[in-house]
Amino acid sequence: MSPEKAVREVSVTIDGNTFAVPEGTLVVEAAKHLGTQIPVYCYHPKLEPAGLCRICLVEIEKMPKLQIACATRVADGMVVHTSSAKVAEARRGVLEFLLLNHPLDCPVCDKGGECELQDFTMSYGPGESRLTEPKLHKPKLVDLGPTIVLDEERCILCRRCTRFDDEIAQERTLIVEDRGFKSLISTRNGGAYASYFSGNTTEICPVGALTSKAYRFRSRPWDLNHTDSVCTQCSVGCNYRVDTRFGRVMRTFTRENPAVDDGWICDRGRYTFNYLYAPERLRAPSIKRDGGRVDVTFAEAAVLAGSKLAEAAARGRVGVIGGGRLSDEEAYALQRFAREVLGTNNIDYRTHAQVYASPSRFGARLTDIDDASVILAFGAVTPELAPILDLRIRRAVARGHAKFVYMGPYRPAFTIETRYVKLQRGTLPKELDDLGDAVRRGAGQPGGSDVATIASDIAAAKKIVAIHSGEDAPSADAIERLVETLQQSGRDAGILVVGATGNARGAEAAGCVPNLGPGYAPVSGEPGMTTDQMLAAAADGRLDALFVIGANPALTFPDGALARRALKRVPFLAVADQVMTETASYAHIVFAAASFAEKRGHTTNLEGIRQAFAAAVESPLEVRTDAQIIGALTLATRRGSIGDDPTTLFAELNAAESAPRAKTGGGALARPVVTGASAPIAVPDGALTVIPIPHLYAGGGAAAHDPGTKPMRPEPYAVFSPSDARRLSLDEGARVKLSGASGSIEVSARIAQQVPDGSVLVLAEMPEAPHNLLLDASGGGWANVEVIAGAAEAAG
Amino acid sequence: MPIEPVLTKGFGSLDLTDLAVYRSVGGFAALTKALREMTPDGVVAEVMASNLRGRGGAGFPTGKKWSFLPKDGRPRYLVCNSDEAEAGTFKDRMLLENSPFNLIEGLVISAYAVNAKRVFIYIRGEFLAGYRIFQKALAQAYDAGLVGADILGSGYSVEIVPHRGAGAYICGEETAQLNSLEGKRGEPRLKPPFPANAGLYGMPTVVNNVETLMYVPHIIERGAKWFASIGAEKSPGPKVISVSGHVMRPGNYEVPLGIPMRELVMELAGGLRPGRRVKAIQPGGGSSAAIFEEDLDVACDFDSLAAKGTMLGSGAVTVMDDTACMVRCALTINRFFETESCGQCTPCREGGQWVHRMVARLEAGEGSESDLKILTTINRTITGTNLCVLGDSIMPFLSSVYKHFPEEFHDHVRLAGCPLHARSESAA
Repeated sequence: MSPEKAVREVSVTIDGNTFAVPEGTLVVEAAKHLGTQIPVYCYHPKLEPAGLCRICLVEIEKMPKLQIACATRVADGMVVHTSSAKVAEARRGVLEFLLLNHPLDCPVCDKGGECELQDFTMSYGPGESRLTEPKLHKPKLVDLGPTIVLDEERCILCRRCTRFDDEIAQERTLIVEDRGFKSLISTRNGGAYASYFSGNTTEICPVGALTSKAYRFRSRPWDLNHTDSVCTQCSVGCNYRVDTRFGRVMRTFTRENPAVDDGWICDRGRYTFNYLYAPERLRAPSIKRDGGRVDVTFAEAAVLAGSKLAEAAARGRVGVIGGGRLSDEEAYALQRFAREVLGTNNIDYRTHAQVYASPSRFGARLTDIDDASVILAFGAVTPELAPILDLRIRRAVARGHAKFVYMGPYRPAFTIETRYVKLQRGTLPKELDDLGDAVRRGAGQPGGSDVATIASDIAAAKKIVAIHSGEDAPSADAIERLVETLQQSGRDAGILVVGATGNARGAEAAGCVPNLGPGYAPVSGEPGMTTDQMLAAAADGRLDALFVIGANPALTFPDGALARRALKRVPFLAVADQVMTETASYAHIVFAAASFAEKRGHTTNLEGIRQAFAAAVESPLEVRTDAQIIGALTLATRRGSIGDDPTTLFAELNAAESAPRAKTGGGALARPVVTGASAPIAVPDGALTVIPIPHLYAGGGAAAHDPGTKPMRPEPYAVFSPSDARRLSLDEGARVKLSGASGSIEVSARIAQQVPDGSVLVLAEMPEAPHNLLLDASGGGWANVEVIAGAAEAAG
Repeated sequence: MPIEPVLTKGFGSLDLTDLAVYRSVGGFAALTKALREMTPDGVVAEVMASNLRGRGGAGFPTGKKWSFLPKDGRPRYLVCNSDEAEAGTFKDRMLLENSPFNLIEGLVISAYAVNAKRVFIYIRGEFLAGYRIFQKALAQAYDAGLVGADILGSGYSVEIVPHRGAGAYICGEETAQLNSLEGKRGEPRLKPPFPANAGLYGMPTVVNNVETLMYVPHIIERGAKWFASIGAEKSPGPKVISVSGHVMRPGNYEVPLGIPMRELVMELAGGLRPGRRVKAIQPGGGSSAAIFEEDLDVACDFDSLAAKGTMLGSGAVTVMDDTACMVRCALTINRFFETESCGQCTPCREGGQWVHRMVARLEAGEGSESDLKILTTINRTITGTNLCVLGDSIMPFLSSVYKHFPEEFHDHVRLAGCPLHARSESAA
């Protein structure tokens, strides 16, 4: 971050106390210095002052009328009274007006107990009602979209929701309809409010107007216990609170961390906890027996699995896959289990196309986005993969100081102005090296080639943030070379790598890779096998046992056919997960693993911030944390001892990490070894190149079984360019079969301009139609298209 | 003290919507003079010297408003507010329909003065005839090289863009008008920043009323001294006043500011019906507090009416004689403000609606003394507590007539109906 500009301090007197605040401070914020609360409804510190509700009127000397504290900035020598008789009368008046037609259904209102209309009425409201007329009525139970129900009668029209949608999400779906006292909160053209950020509106709504479908009528706020936690659904690591009642998670709630989430969470993070209570949640370990699955006790499962793993380990034919969904402590325990207990470096957290999670040098911070001049994203579709990071990008671009450049094989739907550069497979390193050359030469002009245009954006830039999907090793090197060039040219530049799983970076740092131990230290002895090597070995009969923990490679590994062959063929497969994933369905023994809410520990976000989360609820009886599963397996192997206490494991991890780190030539951290370099794809005549596309609600684990996010989950689909659709006689909504080199899937067809001709975008990680049946180990693939049913038939 | 008409000269006898006719009475001479002989600052200085005060309602000195624009090189806009919708006002409509070239001439000279390259004229949606007349005149002016590129060979260019409103009173408020022009909801903006700094599309903007801008060519042509010599010292110049209600000759009258109300109502507007007496007058549109029979000698100018606790406003005089029920009159006003509140601010949105319901109840004979008690105090929480002045318009008329005729309000409660209507019905 650039150094703060010196801010002049001015003197202000509030209720007789004189003190200094930075010039430009709002009166409402200045009052907080004294611990004085000025009531507000429309004001929210994250939104621009609007001055609508008028509850914050205060008396300022030398001003004839009362002034709104939410929009008046402190001037030197200003004298403010926040509790004079005039102020009290104005507040009483505003509250009286707000209560005129309010239904006063507090006993059945979700907000009751944490409602600012209740609170301020108690503190400042009129003691008795002068209202004699019947209430005016407005629509109730308004279905705004998949997540939100609106009660227009409870609404006080503060517009925090519409302003959030406008200023923060910048989606402009929520609007005010009609005028005066008939005003209603509504949606643009009556469409659904289906924002990824919708849940935030229920929190900032000061009354019970916006309620979340997932929480309505489920608890009174005062009955909730609060536990500080961290969201693990993606790699941003937003801080939140888990609210529980009777040992059950009722809702999640933001817990502001300006450096990480800026006070917001996305709906995937907010609502993905209902799977804990879904029938698909695993509540006991099970073993394959007589062609079916039989539940067993945890002890029985641990003893059986431990002995099988020990046997395979004795032959040196064992591998461990996972770590990116565990806590830091558990990831550390897992690599100890592989190395010390099973005696192998065959451990890898990477089960997606991602090949690394930590920039080996030039790591940027999330807050660097806030004052960046140019944001370069490479294949990282941030709205789907890291929504709260995307909010930062939206804000930086909306404020007009940042340009956003996206390079990738297709143009994702960004909400902001985007300079898009279409990339052919494998061409990113060259593009970036050309860009570096242009920067070094000082070349580049608008209207030239893509490289020249971006170079001209960069020419005027002080700070550049590069965001990578982490999916291609040569690209990673090229990005680091470019950032180095930028730094040498006197610019501030850094890299963020979006993790494919919530704790990808934590797993990498803890040593869940074949060539590196905790703290990126090179392993003693030969590096082990990577995930694709392990899967290939298992498929060829060269491994006797695999332990997969918190991972579902059958659905996520690029070469789906290989992954499935390996998982089906390996003589012994143990899987630990929270729900019955496809990978777990192949396992001889499945452990029921505890969720984030049922354990404590740390998780490391994409920037490298390690954050603690606490256990909010107890897990079911036969469910264990991953650390407990690893500890029990260790005992069962009789080959060592690894404790399952997070505190001890955390101390060990810290000690291991404080050892000197492995550095390569340029002072960079070592990167995980990468195998299976990408080969050119030969697309047969008439076939289309397959480009997998991420979706916030895709996934084969918790997301596939969560009643809270189910309404938002898409059906599997593929998107065709208009001209390919014409050529294939496809209509929007048609049912099509996509057949690749090693499998086929059925999806519904969509048509969009953004799709390059000759390509098809396939929704990734949908268990009903696994995209990876169409791909090879490098993530490339093709598909022949066959129309099964026209749009009308498919709809019928 | 009638004067020679300035804006309304020739109305009724000449077709001033014809460019040739307008030119034959000296039209566009001022434009020629301004562009060829004066600098923009010279025009501003002349208007400032005339002490022309805004005719839209606030009475702010026009030249001073122009001088507030920051000289920072950003593009500037001139917006002509022709969204005349104040209850009782119909002067801009007449001016627009009868003398579009005077307005165009005023727009171009004023735009030249403030160095705007683009002028927007926001015409009330209901003024379809005026809009069509203006459009036709504008096309003629473009053809004649009086608007557009390099006007009269001066090198100065300006485009004029007419825009029709969609029927919201609040869009007469200047910042709501700017939002509406930008395609947003027509709602007032939080100030500061003021339009002079961040107006249309965030750029320095001047918003002036139709009538105000129409005086500019006359000031340029005849000089600031001439203008300042007309009317009251601090409110100089002529003013078109719309007189309506219980008078024999309702209509628009161009009078010198400062004309006594008695002369305007009793002489120019033909006085009241035989045997009737003045009961109440709204001197400045629906937003203004009433004055009464004993106030008839007040001078009609910004300051004299302000001293009486009311205002000249846009110049809309509505006369109510002794047959008028004050509760019913208030009901009409309060229904208007309930409907026209944009809904942003709580006191205006909810208070306006509550007051309307109480007055409606009183008028229907279903009111109570407690309603009256609330009406005496609610003024303090509705007035002066909102973002714009629409909320301040809800109470003045009601409060003033209630204070002056309290018994009439109490009678509505006591008799469960209107005493006046009961009397007139029994008389019939």
